[in-house]
Amino acid sequence: MTLTPEIIALLTLDVIFLGLGTLALILSLRIAYRWDYAAVTPLQYRLTKQSTLVAVIIKYIFVLKLPLFLFFIYTCDKLSAVITGAMCASGVVNSIGFGLDLTLFKLFNLYGFGFWLLLHAEDASHVRLAYTRLKLILFALLCVPLFTEIILEIGFFTRLDVSKIVSCCGTLFSAASSSASLSLLFNVDARVWVGIFYLVYTVSLIALWLKSTAGVIVSNTLFLIFALISLIVFFSTYVYELPTHRCPFCLLQKEYYYVGYGLYVMLFTGTFCAVGGGLLASITHTIPYRYWRLSGFFNTAYVVSISAYPLAYYLKNGVWL
Amino acid sequence: MIVVSNVSKMFTQAEECVQALSHVSLHVAQGECVLLKGASGSGKSTLLSLIAGLAQPTSGSIVVDGEEISKMPERLSAKMRRERIGFIFQKFHLIPYLSVQENVTTPLVPENIPLHVIEAKAKRAMERCRIAHKAHMYVHRLSGGEQQRTAIARALVRNPMIVLADEPTANLDRKLSLSLIEELRALKHEGVTLVVATHDPLFFDLDFVDQTIELHHGVLRP
Amino acid sequence: MLFSFRWLLLEYAVRSLFRRFGKNFFIFFILSFLIFILSSVLMIAESIKAELNATLKTLPDMTLQRFVAGKQTLIPVSRVDALLEIQGVGSVTPRIWGYYYFKPAGVNFSVVGLDAYEEPYSATMARLIKDVDWTQRSPSPTMIVGEGVKTILRENYYNDFFNFITPEGQTKKVGIAGVFHSDLALEANDLIVLPKQTAYEIFGMNASDATDIVLKVSANVSEIPTIVAKIIEKFPDLRVVTRDDIRVSYQNIFDYKSGFFLALFCVCAFAFFIIVYDKSNALSSEEKKEIGILKALGWDTDTVLQEKFFESFILSLGAFLFGLATALFYVYALQAPLLRAIFTGYSTLKPPFALPYTLSGSMIVLLFLLSVPVYIAATLIPAWRTSIVDADEVLR
Repeated sequence: MTLTPEIIALLTLDVIFLGLGTLALILSLRIAYRWDYAAVTPLQYRLTKQSTLVAVIIKYIFVLKLPLFLFFIYTCDKLSAVITGAMCASGVVNSIGFGLDLTLFKLFNLYGFGFWLLLHAEDASHVRLAYTRLKLILFALLCVPLFTEIILEIGFFTRLDVSKIVSCCGTLFSAASSSASLSLLFNVDARVWVGIFYLVYTVSLIALWLKSTAGVIVSNTLFLIFALISLIVFFSTYVYELPTHRCPFCLLQKEYYYVGYGLYVMLFTGTFCAVGGGLLASITHTIPYRYWRLSGFFNTAYVVSISAYPLAYYLKNGVWL
Repeated sequence: MIVVSNVSKMFTQAEECVQALSHVSLHVAQGECVLLKGASGSGKSTLLSLIAGLAQPTSGSIVVDGEEISKMPERLSAKMRRERIGFIFQKFHLIPYLSVQENVTTPLVPENIPLHVIEAKAKRAMERCRIAHKAHMYVHRLSGGEQQRTAIARALVRNPMIVLADEPTANLDRKLSLSLIEELRALKHEGVTLVVATHDPLFFDLDFVDQTIELHHGVLRP
Repeated sequence: MLFSFRWLLLEYAVRSLFRRFGKNFFIFFILSFLIFILSSVLMIAESIKAELNATLKTLPDMTLQRFVAGKQTLIPVSRVDALLEIQGVGSVTPRIWGYYYFKPAGVNFSVVGLDAYEEPYSATMARLIKDVDWTQRSPSPTMIVGEGVKTILRENYYNDFFNFITPEGQTKKVGIAGVFHSDLALEANDLIVLPKQTAYEIFGMNASDATDIVLKVSANVSEIPTIVAKIIEKFPDLRVVTRDDIRVSYQNIFDYKSGFFLALFCVCAFAFFIIVYDKSNALSSEEKKEIGILKALGWDTDTVLQEKFFESFILSLGAFLFGLATALFYVYALQAPLLRAIFTGYSTLKPPFALPYTLSGSMIVLLFLLSVPVYIAATLIPAWRTSIVDADEVLR
C-alpha cells in the first residue's frame, strides 16, 4: 500500500462519494417506489423535496468525477516514475489485474451520469415531471457500476505495490500482450481497423443525416470502440513517430504536448452527445438537434485531427510508418 | 384572470389536522381589485400563497392566467411567479444589507438575462416608484416611505399582470398607509389585477375595490 | 443548457456571505488555517524529499562497511583487488573519512581524504573541487572547506589555516586553500576535503586501512542483488549498503512522519467539518424568512441551492487560496519555523539547509481536491435543507 498524498485525496473523495451515493440510492429507491405526481399528500410533498437532494448529490458526484478522471490518469502517470518498468500510466494501470477494468468503469460511469443529467434536465422542465421515476430507477441501476468503480479504485490503490516490476506500454499494447483480447487486435492488419474506423464514421454521419435514432446510437457506440482500437493500433504510432510505440496513455504526457487530453475530450464529447441525445430522443420522442449537431462537430473534429498525424508524417517523410 | 374553484387546504400541525381553507371558490377578472378581509388566522395568507403557487391545495384547483398553477411542479410555478405575479409583503420584507437596486432586481436573478437588460428593467421600476435617486443606498438606511416604494418597485420589476399584497399596511402609520393605497390605486389604473389581503379598516370603503370577500375560519362569507 | 452561468446569483452569494460575516469569517479562518497546515506540511515533505533525492543521486551505488563484534571498523585496502574480480563491479574506491569534533564551537566537521590524482567517488565531490586549484602545492598541506566550516573557523580566528589535533595530542597545521560554493548546502556545508595523507595523520590511522569502500556497478541496476550476494559470500564480515537501502530508510522515516501527521490532521479536519455541518444545518429564523421572500419572488429550489453552492464554493476557494499563499510564504520565505521540527529526523543528521522551492501544479490540484470539494460535501445537505424551506412561512 502506498499512501502518497494524491492517493489519499482520491480515497477521501471516494469515501465521500460512497457515503453520499448510498444516501442518494436509498432516497431514490424510496421515491421511485412511492412516487405519485397527482397526489397532494404530505408524503408526495416530501418526496418531491427529497428528489432535489438526489439530483444535487448526483450533480456533485458527476462534476467532480469529470476532473477526477483526468486526475486519476495523471496520478497513474506520476506513479509510473516510481514504479520500475512503467513508462506511462498504462503500466501502472495494468500492474493490478483489474486496472484496465477500473479505467473502463470510470469511462462508462461518466457516460452514464452524463446521460442521467440530460434526463434530469428534461424531467425538471417537464410540466408533470414525467421522468422522475424513470431517472431515479436509472440512478439506482447506475449505482452498480458507480459503487463497483469506487470499490475497485480503493482496492487498486491499496494493492498498488511500488516495488513490483511491471511491463511498459510497449509490451502491453503489442501482439505479445498477455491479454488475449489485446493481442488479437495486433494480429489483425492495422489497415483493417483503420478501414472500419472510417467506415463507421461515415455510417454515423449518414445516420445523423437520416435522423435515425437507433442508427445514431449504434453507429456512435461502434465509432467509439473502433476509434480507440485504431488509435492504439495505428494512429498512436504516428503521434509518437515510432512504428512500435502503441499506447493510448503516452499521448497524455508532456512530451507529446498533452495532445491526448484534447483528442479524448473531442472523441468522448462527440460520442456522448450522439448516444446520450439518441437515448433521450427514444424516451421523449423528439429529435435532439442540438446534441446531434454538437456530436457531428466533435466527431468530425476528432477524425480530422487524428487523420492529420499520419498525413503530416507522410508529407514530411514521403513514407508511411 | 384568477379562478379558484372549490379549494381546501389542510395543515398538519403538531399531529393535528388544521383546516386552513375549506371549499373556497373565487373568480377575479383581469384588472379587478379584490379585497380579502378577515381576522388573522382566517386563511387569507394561505389563499394568497395558494394563488401564487407557493403551496398546493389539498383539493380543488387554481387557475391563474389560463394555467393551473396548483398542479405545476415547483420550477414552473416559480417561473410563473417571476413573470406574472408581483408580491408586496407585510413589513415589506426587503432583504437587509442590499441596496435598493439589488433588492429590486432580486426577482430577475434566477433568469439568465444580460446585465444591461436587468439594469434597464430595474431603472424603469425604480423611476416609476420614485426611488431611482436612492438606487445604491442600503435599504436598512431608508425611511419607511422609501422602503415601501422599494418594495413596490420590486413587485413591479417584471411588469406583472397580478399583484398580491399581504397585509401591506400592517405596522405602518396612517400617512404611509394612505400613500400605499394611492400606489395601489395607480396600479389598478394601469390595468393590473390586485388581490389585497388585509384587515385594515382604511381599505374598506375604497372606490377602486371591485370585490370584497371575507374569510372566516377558512370559509368564504358572501 | 445543463448549466448556464448566472452572474447576478454569484453576486448575490457574495453579498450573502458578507451579510453573515461573523459566522462565515469564523469558518473561513479555521478552514484557511487547516489548509495552511496541510499545505505547509506537504510542501516541507516534498521539499525535503527533493533535497534528499538530489543528495541520493550523488551517492555511490554501494558502500561496504566492515563489522567486527557488531561494531564498524576499518577495512584493509588490500581487499580492493579481490572486489574488482567480481563480475559487474565497475570501480572500487577505498575512502578515508570521518568526523572531527571541534570543541571550541561544539560542532562536528566531516573530514574527507582525497588524492589529487584519484577519481572522485561521487559526482558532487567532483563538482565541489572542480573550481579549486587542487594541484597548488604549498610546503604544508592544504584543505578545501565548506562555507559553514569557514564561518566557524573565522569565528575562532582561524583565517588562513587550522590546527588539527591528532589522537597522539600533536597539532597538525593545515592551510585553507579554498571554499566550496555549492548550491547543495545539505552536503557541502560542514565538509572539509584534504589530501589522504593528511587525513590519515589527523585520524591516526594506518595507511593500509580505509574507513569504508565505495563501489560502482558497471552492470545493469537489476544485477545489484546478485553482486551484493557475491560480495557477502567472499567477505562475510562486510555489510553492503546500497543506495536503495538508504533511500528506503529515509522514505520510511518520511512516510511514517507524514502518515502520523495526516492521521492527526484528519481528526482535526473531521471535527471541523462536523462543526460546519452543524452550523449550517441550524437555520436561523432570519435565514428562513429570507428564503421565503426569495421563493415568493420567484426563486425555485434549484436557484436557492445554486446560490448556497456559490457561497460554499467562494468561501472554500477563498480559504484555499489564502491558506496556500500563507503556506508558500511560511515555508519558502520563512523556512517553516516550528513545523520543520516534525521532520527533524533528517535535519539533525545534517547542518542547516534551505528548503528548495518545489511547488508543482499537481500539488496545487491535490491541495484543492483535499479542501474545496470536501468542504462543499459537508455543506451539501445543509444547503439542501435550506433550499427546501417552505415559502409560505413569510406569508403567515
